[in-house]
Amino acid sequence: MQRIFTLLKQRLFGQSRPSMSSEELRTDFTRRYAHFRNLLTANNNALQAMAELEKVYYGGGSYRMAFVRSKISTILINVYKMISDILAMSDGKYADLETTFEKISNELDKIVARKHDFVQGPLILTLDKVRRSDRDQAGEKMANLGEINALQGIVVPLGFVITASATRHFLTTEHIAEINRLLQVFDSEDLDDLYKTCEEMQKIVMDAPLPPDLEELLHAHFNRLETESHSASRVAMRSSALGEDTAGVSFAGLYSTFLNVEKHEIGDLYKKVIASKYGPRAIAYRRMRGYRHEDIEMCVGCLVMVDALVSGVIYSRDPGEQESEVMRINATAGIARGVVDGTTVTDLFLVGREKPFPVVFSEIRQSQDSGKEQLSGSASLTYSQIRKLAETALQLEIHFGQPQDVEWSYDHQGVLYILQSRPIAATPAGTKEKSRSMQKVAVPGESVEKPLLFGGISASGGIASGEVFLVDSDKDMREFPRGAVLVLRHPLPEWAPLLGRATAVIAENGTEAGHLATVAREFGIPALFSLPGAMSVLTSGQTITVNSSGRAIYQGRREELLRQNVAKRDIMAGSPVQRIVTEALQYITPLNLNDPTSSHFRSNWCETLHDITRFCHEKSVSEMFNYGKEHRFDKGTAKRLVGEVPLEWWVIDLADGFRQGLDSGSKMVRIEDIVSLPMQAIWRGISAFPWEGPPPISARGFGEIIFQSTMRPDLDPSVASNMATKNYFLISKNFCNLSVRLGYHYAMIEAYLSDLLTESYVTFRFKGGAADMRRKAVRARLLADILKRYDFRVELRSDALLARVKKQPVEYLEQRLEILGYLITHSRQLDMVMTQPHAVEQYREKFLKDIEEMLSLKESTIGESVHE
Amino acid sequence: MNEKRKIMMVDDEADFLELMAKFFKRRNIDFETAGGCMEALDRLGQGKFDVVIMDVCMPGLDGLECMAEMKKVQPELEVIVLTGHASLNVGISGMKKGAFDYCMKPVSFDELLEKIVLAKEKFSKKSDW
Repeated sequence: MQRIFTLLKQRLFGQSRPSMSSEELRTDFTRRYAHFRNLLTANNNALQAMAELEKVYYGGGSYRMAFVRSKISTILINVYKMISDILAMSDGKYADLETTFEKISNELDKIVARKHDFVQGPLILTLDKVRRSDRDQAGEKMANLGEINALQGIVVPLGFVITASATRHFLTTEHIAEINRLLQVFDSEDLDDLYKTCEEMQKIVMDAPLPPDLEELLHAHFNRLETESHSASRVAMRSSALGEDTAGVSFAGLYSTFLNVEKHEIGDLYKKVIASKYGPRAIAYRRMRGYRHEDIEMCVGCLVMVDALVSGVIYSRDPGEQESEVMRINATAGIARGVVDGTTVTDLFLVGREKPFPVVFSEIRQSQDSGKEQLSGSASLTYSQIRKLAETALQLEIHFGQPQDVEWSYDHQGVLYILQSRPIAATPAGTKEKSRSMQKVAVPGESVEKPLLFGGISASGGIASGEVFLVDSDKDMREFPRGAVLVLRHPLPEWAPLLGRATAVIAENGTEAGHLATVAREFGIPALFSLPGAMSVLTSGQTITVNSSGRAIYQGRREELLRQNVAKRDIMAGSPVQRIVTEALQYITPLNLNDPTSSHFRSNWCETLHDITRFCHEKSVSEMFNYGKEHRFDKGTAKRLVGEVPLEWWVIDLADGFRQGLDSGSKMVRIEDIVSLPMQAIWRGISAFPWEGPPPISARGFGEIIFQSTMRPDLDPSVASNMATKNYFLISKNFCNLSVRLGYHYAMIEAYLSDLLTESYVTFRFKGGAADMRRKAVRARLLADILKRYDFRVELRSDALLARVKKQPVEYLEQRLEILGYLITHSRQLDMVMTQPHAVEQYREKFLKDIEEMLSLKESTIGESVHE
Repeated sequence: MNEKRKIMMVDDEADFLELMAKFFKRRNIDFETAGGCMEALDRLGQGKFDVVIMDVCMPGLDGLECMAEMKKVQPELEVIVLTGHASLNVGISGMKKGAFDYCMKPVSFDELLEKIVLAKEKFSKKSDW
């Protein structure tokens, strides 16, 4: 390649400067054009990937590390291609781009591949030695429990923690590599594949032999518990994952817990808890919340079983209504499992947060008699038990500095044991859920229609609509469509992987205290539980609207209800994946090189990948434009558009954009000499209507306005450049790249029209100029609205607009180009009215009317109506 | 994609190769697989290929080394590198060493197909020269 360049340079710039034959010049130009095209394609790809990355990052939805990796790689690879192309086009003029690129790609690599620093510690820690600071070894749950254990007046069961070091001792790097390999190839969208892969991964864990020293330690500590507790011969084994450190992330019910574990089972069940890291629930949850699998390390707590009389959950603030001064207790006879599994009916107590902790509401849903001093005939808790619970919950809230969700048990001796305490996963702010006591029940008659179903427990507030999908088996689960309303008999934690796809969840049983309820609140999905008959009244495929806050289900889609809803919160907030994107974006998207006329617009001033794309794009256009100048190839390259076109448009023919037989020596070209399909289409749009409206049009009319705009780079110095002050069409028969400055605006249209659908595209970029940010944003939004109507895919960030259509027939894309031609010409008048919503609306209507008229005019002729 | 293309995929994952083979077969694309570098070189000895899709992470000779060996045999060969959880720079290294493009696992079939079409176009142009 270099040889060709040298040869070319010698031939072109040598003393005698022999002229190349037209064939040689054409070949060289074609090569350069190929690089230019490649560069523009890479530029599009890089900017598109940047937009996609930003969109998910700012969108508040869920995205995965695989997506992030893939987008960052796409950006890197395309920027790399751009650099290669600009170097080839410029004879290696901007070689320092490579150094900058290498520096940035190394930084990004470090950010994306970052791992926890792991410190080796003991294999087992006794619970009385564990504190919050031991999270790295004991996991979140057990570190918290250890901390609670040390608090005055609070009792937790005796126990020990099998640490993260033990897990690393158990699962070797080979095991992990094998698991990672499986994770890499599985199809994340295919639930069947998810289940199959999970089974395989869990088998790897279960087949791994327990190291003998670890097994010996487990037994020794089990014996110690027996001795210390005098009676214990059974333990509960609970997962305690490490890395669940984000507020609002519950990880509720994802991993296995085993109760009543005997000594001979401890080894196998330990493995099972570890294996539950690779269960479908856990995999799906991590993906939705932005955790990489390597971000989570499993530890296991072994706690002496409490001989529970009554158990349950207390929320130190009602999750449904955190601003009210109420705590919520769900209680059931025996152990707490049924409460959190969502399978047991529980008694509900709402208790004031201040002494003497009055019970402000109770609903006795259980019928068993729990003994003396009852609140009502059959309540599971006595008032003194409630008071003790409330005191303890407040003590925990104060200690941890935020409202807590606490699991507890009273044993037969009346001792209160705390089994777990974690921050509450609240219903997203704004979904106006009312807690049960104060719930505004949707009264039939208040709405026009009667609800299909009414009542139940609002486990997660909100309103949503979708098609019913009844799930009663694993098979149903695998077929569950995105956006459907999940209808269940029991809200078991097993269904949690569906919450990322469901728009609402309804269950015949269950309460607000179950794991599935917790996860629904986290995801901001309405959940209405304890609704008998839901499985029989509702049928799959039926469209309904679920108003969980109002405890009602309506036939069809109820817009008036849906309007009351607000956006979901940022599901990824604070997650490791989000942190990675936050850091990575610093090296990708900021644009420092925005003024091509500035002395800082140089390759060594590029700081981000966006800078590099901007620089390469600008320079590639210059290289193409200067080609004729530098290579004595000016004849036939840049020509000024003349004729009934009193404005400064320049056209560069890249290959076959001019009609055959055109005088290649001429410095001018008429619109009718142009055979570039996309340019013709854009021109039809530009010239379809005369420009009108403020500022007052001069006697010389439309052309003069455009002319003034194009000749006044002072209007917006931020984008002025040699390329930008004039408007350039770079064309071939099928390709057109138009860089246009109309007064305040900088716009770029690029199109490639081909009979091969996969190659065809139209891209439009628009960036507002002189107006203040708010006005610019209004204008960009208006354009975005109009383009969306015509099926453009639109990305809008503040005042920057990117719109695309691709893979469509030529005729369809030509119409899109006409629309763009129209809009770049006429959107200028918006500058004057951006602060008047009424006027903006008028323009929107006018634009749409004009566009419709333009598109219906089949006989529109090129270059005909530029003038008034 | 009407024209028959000769494509080889080199990967040590038999399941993955099988999946890809089905995908290409459905699209009537001439597709062969190799489970490792030595096998790939053997196949290349038996006939020419337009495009090779190469997993970077393989036991023995890794994908990039394998690509270099294959290009010694057939210099105009276009290679699309496939990377998994490897570092981001692996793709770039591949490009620097002469790969045409690269894809990340899990693979998007459409994306791969698009890249194959482009690689094939480039291959044809080179062969024409």
